Amino acid sequence: MKIIKPDIAFINEINRDTGFSLKSCMQCGTCSVVCDLSPKNKPFPRKEMFWASWGLKEKLMGDPDIWLCHQCGDCTTYCPRGVKPGDVLSSIRKICYYHYAKPKFLGTILKKPAYLPFVFAVPVLFLLLVLFFAGTYIIPEGDINYSTFLPHKYLNTSFSVLLLFVLWGVILSVRSFWNALDKHSSGIDKKSNLFKISISVIKEILIHENFKKCTTQKFRYPAHFLIFWGFMLLILTTILAIVNVLFFEYPFSIWHPFKVLGNIAGIMFLAGCCLVIFQRITNRKNNSIYTYTDWMFLISILIISISGFLTEFARLGNWRLAYHIYFFHLIFTWILIIYLPYTKFSHIIYRTLATIHARYTGR
Amino acid sequence: MPLSLCGKKMTFNLTKKNILVIGGGISGMTTAVEAAEVGHNVTLVEKLPYLGGRVIRMNQYFPKLCPPYCGLEINFRRIKQNPRIKIYTSTTIETITGSVGDFSIQLKSQATFVNDNCTACGECEKVCPEERPNQFNYGLDKTKAIYLPHELAFPFKYTIDDAYCTKENCKKCQEVCKYDAINFSIEAKSFTVNADTIVIATGWQPYDASKLENLNFNQFPNIITNVQMERLAAVNGPGKGKILRPSDNIMPKNFAFVQCAGSRDEKHLAYCSAVCCSASLKQALNIREQIPESTIKIFYIDLRVSGRNEDMLIKVKADKNIELIKGKVSRISEDPLTKELMIEAEDIMSGKKSKEKAELIILATGMQASASNLNIVKYNEYGFINEDGQEDGIFSASCSKKPMDVSSSNKDACGMALKAIQENEIMRY
Repeated sequence: MKIIKPDIAFINEINRDTGFSLKSCMQCGTCSVVCDLSPKNKPFPRKEMFWASWGLKEKLMGDPDIWLCHQCGDCTTYCPRGVKPGDVLSSIRKICYYHYAKPKFLGTILKKPAYLPFVFAVPVLFLLLVLFFAGTYIIPEGDINYSTFLPHKYLNTSFSVLLLFVLWGVILSVRSFWNALDKHSSGIDKKSNLFKISISVIKEILIHENFKKCTTQKFRYPAHFLIFWGFMLLILTTILAIVNVLFFEYPFSIWHPFKVLGNIAGIMFLAGCCLVIFQRITNRKNNSIYTYTDWMFLISILIISISGFLTEFARLGNWRLAYHIYFFHLIFTWILIIYLPYTKFSHIIYRTLATIHARYTGR
Repeated sequence: MPLSLCGKKMTFNLTKKNILVIGGGISGMTTAVEAAEVGHNVTLVEKLPYLGGRVIRMNQYFPKLCPPYCGLEINFRRIKQNPRIKIYTSTTIETITGSVGDFSIQLKSQATFVNDNCTACGECEKVCPEERPNQFNYGLDKTKAIYLPHELAFPFKYTIDDAYCTKENCKKCQEVCKYDAINFSIEAKSFTVNADTIVIATGWQPYDASKLENLNFNQFPNIITNVQMERLAAVNGPGKGKILRPSDNIMPKNFAFVQCAGSRDEKHLAYCSAVCCSASLKQALNIREQIPESTIKIFYIDLRVSGRNEDMLIKVKADKNIELIKGKVSRISEDPLTKELMIEAEDIMSGKKSKEKAELIILATGMQASASNLNIVKYNEYGFINEDGQEDGIFSASCSKKPMDVSSSNKDACGMALKAIQENEIMRY
């Protein structure tokens, strides 16, 4: 005999985040049918709604289907009960970020607005420490040159240290996540080749194949595409720039190819952010609920893109506040990067892995 | 009200009342005859040219699956024989003023251009050049612009559809009529009646299936509603009782029923009409009886049958050709190659998306409140009439309050007749 132990706190958390969706669901299955991403066999999100309303947290934490959902909101639009299955899955995913967070306390402090000062304090103190070691915590005189404020050697080394810390967190979280997926899958299809599957899944993600299937909120495809590719190109530019300063002159001229690439990527990134924010505020078609986690991620990337451009303008225009803006920009970039495994940003990892796992196990 | 109090005998000193009954369906007729047969004067107002409302358009009704003529014919007879019932057909209510004991009701009679001389000989119909969709059959076929609503219409006379008749420009019917029954100079008239009490029996209407975007009701002729299915199965229906699909009049083999088409849906009817499940089971059994090789799939959220209707569920479950699938239909589409209708739902019991073919799809649309808007009456959020909180002397019967089946409606209508009679009486003992 199997005894079901409903996790009441889990149910309450989802209900709180989604306007008491779990209470109104009548299990009619409309959501599963209207969703074009949902597979024919064991479709979602109807069964997830059922599991969630029974508080089966462990089952949902190891369920790849919640990651196959791209939150188009087609289900929410057609739900006869005004339930928001899209938001419920989103809420379960948020719980996932904190569930797999290693170390755990970082998950906790990013979950609640009350810990926001602490979230800021960590990168600020870290950066001040770096400035202290570099001996440059006094605003330099003369033309704006950020490397006099924070020499590249210090910047790149400290950043690498942070990245290693992030990587450690990611590896730990991913390991337990993959194990949970294994535990809840119905057996692995031996024939499939994990490498080949991974390549095909990554290809799909790069061209945003699944986002194109959204029917009620068509803006999601271009918006996510712009943010995703803007971000990827910015990372590429950063790597290129880091390599470049080792051998060549700094700063770059405005028409340097790397600078041009960075600016184009920045514009894409900013445009995508603005489109999402604009749609979140104005498009009330399916009344999606956005929580602290959603807004924190979106606003932090918005601030990064705006402060990034300001940093550039400040240098070109020799603004007096240039170094302050630069400091501010660095703080937000680090917030995004060091907290990656504990915020909504980690969907980049979980979703990819879950999709690969689903394909691998013949989900 | 207790009939005896502390052993004392109680009597009502009933005054003769004038009762206005709004709506000439089965409930309104019941209220009218019950009140009139104990000596009260009744004015019965019906907006259509004939009495019988929704029930007369059924094939069979609950609980005993009688054809509607069976019960209604008796009611027509009781009305006909009773001099205390005054009937106004093709008449609507304009305004209601006054209070209990002294209501003044302004009525408006539409011009039907046919007077009581009509013998329903049918000569006019033969010469009429215009056609109109037959509302009696829920648009499944057409009649001439001058038509007899149905073969047992009460009052038994032809009527003209103002919207389709070209009147003075044609006059063919007028020329052919031997009884001087047609007169195009008749105009709509307003007049006033008085009443002590009012019983509203405005009933219901089937929910408009074209509002269900994902079911594509308007796009494909072989998607029909449950009320249309009643007409298809009725012997006086478009197929004379033979169930034929509307696109090509071929007898279909694969049927699918879509339960809760718009019901229990916040965007359409947020409530359950409580009769559609039983109705679909009844229709499924009808189909199986008529077409032995037929297969039927019934898609439902929950099967809600009560009382003796549960017998039908037992019969349905025992029939191997009827499949009950738990899952709400979320999409109906057409296979672009074979032109077959495809019906999609999640089969919740097996956890698989089900995509089935069907030749005729029946949408079990729910019961919506009639679009009546009487100035003195208080409606609830769904357009039904509140049972409580109405002005004194105003009562609502049956489906004007909430969805119910015919036998419950009749019981309620009898109760409302009693309330209308008893209102404002002084109890003596």
